[in-house]
Amino acid sequence: MYAISITSLKKYYGKTRGLENASLDVKEGEIYGFVGPNGSGKTTLTRILLGLIHSTSGEAKIFDQDVTKASVLLNRQIGYLPSEAFFFPEMKVKDVFRFFQEMRKVDDSRIVELVKRFDIDMNKTMDQLSFGNKKKVGIVVALLHNPKLLILDEPTTGLDPLMQQIFLDLLVEEKKKGVTVFLSSHILSEVEKVCDRVALIRDGIIYQVFEMNDIAQLENKKVSLFPSLEGELPDGMTFLKEEDGLSHYSYIGDINSLLKRLSGQTFEKCNIRDASLEEIFIQYYQKEGATNDVL
Amino acid sequence: MMFSSRLFKLEFTRSLKSLITWSLSIGLTMVFVIVLYPMVIDIYSAIPAEYQAFLDAFGGVPHNVVEYYATEGVMMLQLFGGIFAALEGYNALNRDDKEKTVECIYQLPYSRTAILTTKLVKVIVNVLVFSIVVYFMSILSFLVIGESYDGGDFLLFNVYNTIMFLMLAILGFVLVVFMKPTQKSMGAIAFPFVFYIISVISSVTNNETLELLKHVTPFTFANPVDILKLGADFEWISFVVFTGLSILLTVAAYWRFQKREFTV
Repeated sequence: MYAISITSLKKYYGKTRGLENASLDVKEGEIYGFVGPNGSGKTTLTRILLGLIHSTSGEAKIFDQDVTKASVLLNRQIGYLPSEAFFFPEMKVKDVFRFFQEMRKVDDSRIVELVKRFDIDMNKTMDQLSFGNKKKVGIVVALLHNPKLLILDEPTTGLDPLMQQIFLDLLVEEKKKGVTVFLSSHILSEVEKVCDRVALIRDGIIYQVFEMNDIAQLENKKVSLFPSLEGELPDGMTFLKEEDGLSHYSYIGDINSLLKRLSGQTFEKCNIRDASLEEIFIQYYQKEGATNDVL
Repeated sequence: MMFSSRLFKLEFTRSLKSLITWSLSIGLTMVFVIVLYPMVIDIYSAIPAEYQAFLDAFGGVPHNVVEYYATEGVMMLQLFGGIFAALEGYNALNRDDKEKTVECIYQLPYSRTAILTTKLVKVIVNVLVFSIVVYFMSILSFLVIGESYDGGDFLLFNVYNTIMFLMLAILGFVLVVFMKPTQKSMGAIAFPFVFYIISVISSVTNNETLELLKHVTPFTFANPVDILKLGADFEWISFVVFTGLSILLTVAAYWRFQKREFTV
């Protein structure tokens, strides 16, 4: 059984495309990254999963149950963190927590632990909090009932680097407990740190699904040279740009072949490194007419 | 579960300040009007005969404190009370859109029907509290000035008036479900005015067609002059039309709300 299973999901807002024929499966106990630029359809998918909006066609299931038919049951098992956490502005943080605790019918042990961990001031009203502090309140609300599935929309936006690290560590801990995490983001560094798999989405279309282990093994390199490579470029090598006195290339292929080709020329500067997820991501998004291939 | 007592508590607490403000403001206005009665009663006898006809269109010259209350006080109670009721209904749902708390409320393990019912119950309770506060403040004012009044008729009028407020609240509530989430609350303020104006037009006109307009405003069956002064028959048609409309629109709202898209 998948934690999330989406088949040919389509969402149109009138004539505007929100999501186009999206299909993906999230295994139980994995951290799944859903990556795309703003307006790509991440929030649309998240809202369909939560039953906040309805799909135009296709099927979305959580723990094998249709999200439109079992939203009450599913919401017991889901912890959701929206990209912007809005709560009742005039209420104190402790009252917001008490409300959700009573609605979820849970004790306060988890709240106490999380409040300490994220250093939250319980006596301030919500409208006195900064964006980042509201986000921390949102994290506690999403986690206080120990959900089986966490759906997180841009979870670290607004958090300072220390809190980001605390949060990412917490996600890894949750995963160890068997919790499934569906994380939508455009911050690739956080996806790279914690995700098992990542799906790339653009203009409502899911283009690629990567295993993070596969990405690590991909022979996708970035090459920077001075002077530039003479003669015809080897197979798999693409010139990117001239910048800071260096010629930049991408290379996909066997590293030994590349080294052999480079050894035929003398360079003042030579740098070869693995491409980051961000660079792979940008490469995909810049590719014209990319197809809906799924690895 | 079709109702959440915890959500009700939250909604009620959050609306308490507004409820107290509206109840006391309108209640004190009624107090002010009623305690002035002993001071203004002589003015009516001094009004020239040519103005009496004009006064007749608005209930005529009052002969006791309750008639005075019906002709001078109730207009403000019904107009501002109607606006309160409509806004109460409208804001119960619209506030979540406005404050962008939609995602935090609807991620809870409660069905949309349960959330809608809870909010509707809160609206009904608030309108009842408002009416009871204003009713008792008015009674207190009668006692303070030492004027006798027919408690039965006064209670009957307040029951009809409260029913009318509940209908306006339901209309405001339903309006949100059928409007875009970004819509301003002006619509909710406007329609009690429209109904009130229709009721005034239908009561001052001699045109038979225009008189029929009285059936399409809830102010007709809660007309204070008819109930407290003239002892006229109950306006069943207006009552049935708006009872039917309220039930029909509430059912439609429950149906429509299941399909509502929360995109705020």
